[in-house]
Amino acid sequence: MISLQVQNNQSFRLDEIPFLDKHKFTDSVAEGLTNGYRMIGLFPLHKNMPHKIISALVDSDAASLHLIGGEFQKDKLEFESLANQFPQTNYFECELAENYGFIPINHPWIRPVRKQSTVLGNKPYQFYKLEGAEVHEVAVGPIHAGIIEPGHFRFQCHGELVYHLEINLGYQHRGIESLILDASTNQRVILSESIAGDTVVGHTFAHCSTIESLAGTQISLRAQVIRSIVEELERIAMHLSGLGGVANDIGLAIVASSYGRLRTLAINSLAEISGSRFGRGLFVYGGVRYDFNDENIRQITNKLEVVKNDSAVINNFLFSSTGALTRFEHTGTVSKDFAQQIGLVGVVARSSGIESDTRIHFPYGAYRYFPVSLITLPSGDVFARARLRALEIDESLRFIFEQLENLPGGEIKINVGSIAPCSGVISIVEGWRGEIVHTAITDEVGNIVQYKIKDPSFNNWYGMNLALRETAISDFPVINKSFDLSYAGHDL
Amino acid sequence: MIDAIKLRILQGDPIIHDVRNVSLPKLFRGLPTIERVACPDDCKKCVEACPTNAIKLNPVSIDLGLCVFCPLCEEACPEKIIHFTNDYHIAAESREKLIVTKETKTISAEKASKEIKNYFGRSLKLRQISAGGCNGCELELNALSNVNFDMGRYGIEFVASPRHADGVVITGPLTRNMTKAIEICYEAVPKPKIIVLVGTCSISGGIFQNSKEIQRNFLEENKIDLFIPGCPPHPLTFINGLLDWLDRK
Repeated sequence: MISLQVQNNQSFRLDEIPFLDKHKFTDSVAEGLTNGYRMIGLFPLHKNMPHKIISALVDSDAASLHLIGGEFQKDKLEFESLANQFPQTNYFECELAENYGFIPINHPWIRPVRKQSTVLGNKPYQFYKLEGAEVHEVAVGPIHAGIIEPGHFRFQCHGELVYHLEINLGYQHRGIESLILDASTNQRVILSESIAGDTVVGHTFAHCSTIESLAGTQISLRAQVIRSIVEELERIAMHLSGLGGVANDIGLAIVASSYGRLRTLAINSLAEISGSRFGRGLFVYGGVRYDFNDENIRQITNKLEVVKNDSAVINNFLFSSTGALTRFEHTGTVSKDFAQQIGLVGVVARSSGIESDTRIHFPYGAYRYFPVSLITLPSGDVFARARLRALEIDESLRFIFEQLENLPGGEIKINVGSIAPCSGVISIVEGWRGEIVHTAITDEVGNIVQYKIKDPSFNNWYGMNLALRETAISDFPVINKSFDLSYAGHDL
Repeated sequence: MIDAIKLRILQGDPIIHDVRNVSLPKLFRGLPTIERVACPDDCKKCVEACPTNAIKLNPVSIDLGLCVFCPLCEEACPEKIIHFTNDYHIAAESREKLIVTKETKTISAEKASKEIKNYFGRSLKLRQISAGGCNGCELELNALSNVNFDMGRYGIEFVASPRHADGVVITGPLTRNMTKAIEICYEAVPKPKIIVLVGTCSISGGIFQNSKEIQRNFLEENKIDLFIPGCPPHPLTFINGLLDWLDRK
């Protein structure tokens, strides 16, 4: 396998990347995937030069990233699709086709990523259709029943049973990747806070890390610890929100409202340190804007003590309720083998028994010195995805309490130098949903000419497509909530 | 059963009884104030710092319809005349009212017409449309129904079908891909109907104002009844905005 090997947040010079012809490129990528590496990116180096692309693979055993370059003929942007052999590349190839006109030859399922109705140069897209007696189609969205983001779901059913689900997204597309290229420094941080408003900390963390790495800036240990504390606060808040949602979808109102109360405490803790219930305004290049002091530490500790004590009682009630377990167990199951093949990440992957956590496998920031424990569950069903989130809340609380007691001293913000020219960097952060990847590439004068964002939802929506097969359509809401994926993060 | 009752007891009394006067964290960025101090000649540091062009000079003003409530202008001002307070009462019925000047002390929504009050004063059902909202505003609107804010006690609720709704609440900068869906949804709401814009993105496009992927014609073609600024707006901003507008205590 011919590749450039780097680490998470390690900047590299563009001329270090080996660029191969199209056959060697696909061979090299296939070799990496055969070795058990996972694809995290497939995109051109420069948006105006789509014929030079890179594929980024991660090797979680060695904590390393492999960059494989491919140079194509300018008028012949096509390559043999890898998706038949490695289903995880399927969606990355669709994205490359949609954004830059690449043709993945023999691709099994070219479908729109962010455009609703067209694929490959304005050809109309047809949903798969099941035919036969008593077969029916259910179309839901883009506007759903609750206060949630838009997306279109097309079910092919026979009675209650779903045979096939297609999820058509893109309604949230705001063009963030292009906006970041033209944005000022101040605008870039705000944009990254708005990639997915429920993952403000995760995405802004990844964005600031790309810029700091390109500038060769090492932020202080105190700032690193503060960043990790708020990341864990966000994880707690959103896990509580998700658990409440799952309970709500099976009609367990007392549990849903109890988690709701605790979530308020968690997001109000974020407001104590950042002024925003979602952690907006805290991240700046070179560190963080606000510091911990005795007063806000006391406020946050008091709130989190309540979360810790009460969540134990609520978890106990939920996970010993026969009614809840009947709905959770063996519902929307994703097997480990399947999850690996289609490249699932984050909470969903860990619930299927895959050991995958960026904080542990590609450690960054404070997690290099203060590790967190890896939690996995084997069953891959709604139960596992809900239970895992309850367990992760406990681990995040432990991390926060420990760090708040021993905050390292030092400045919270330092100046960031100038951005290195002709370079690139990949920053991976474990957001509450899973792996967030930001890639930045610069030109001769240090301007960012390519910025690529991958939210964990990009991988995991595909998992939900397939998890719905051969389940009852009435289980869709609870399965959907157990995946808890982002529309905005996918659509960008 | 006993365990469920224990859970209920554990809930205690989490509701915010007086939504009018809540003390939010000191760092919370709500209504900005601009001190009555003259700016140094040619200083435009706040304008340069602002990521969304919300600030105008001579005299200094901040448009909350564009503001994303980051503290960059406050930090940039050499005279320290801009200061974000934790006052969350910032909703208004007109776009102009969202422009904060040195004279602005408070913002509150003017009472709605008698007709609107008669129709919706005691019961208002809303259909939410997310049109590129990042899920920040959506989560805060969801929070309105939790045990802390419990907006249902005022007869204001979100419903699933536009047919059951008295109006729409729009979040997000109005993406091109949602244009058709917004029109169909609004059309499905029976008359008389209202439009509430929640969050800076929906009011002006916010940080996405220059995006080629947004399509905001719908807002020019229809009358907007209430603007709830914020990034995202605090749930209390939403409740108080509606209570003021509907002339409730």
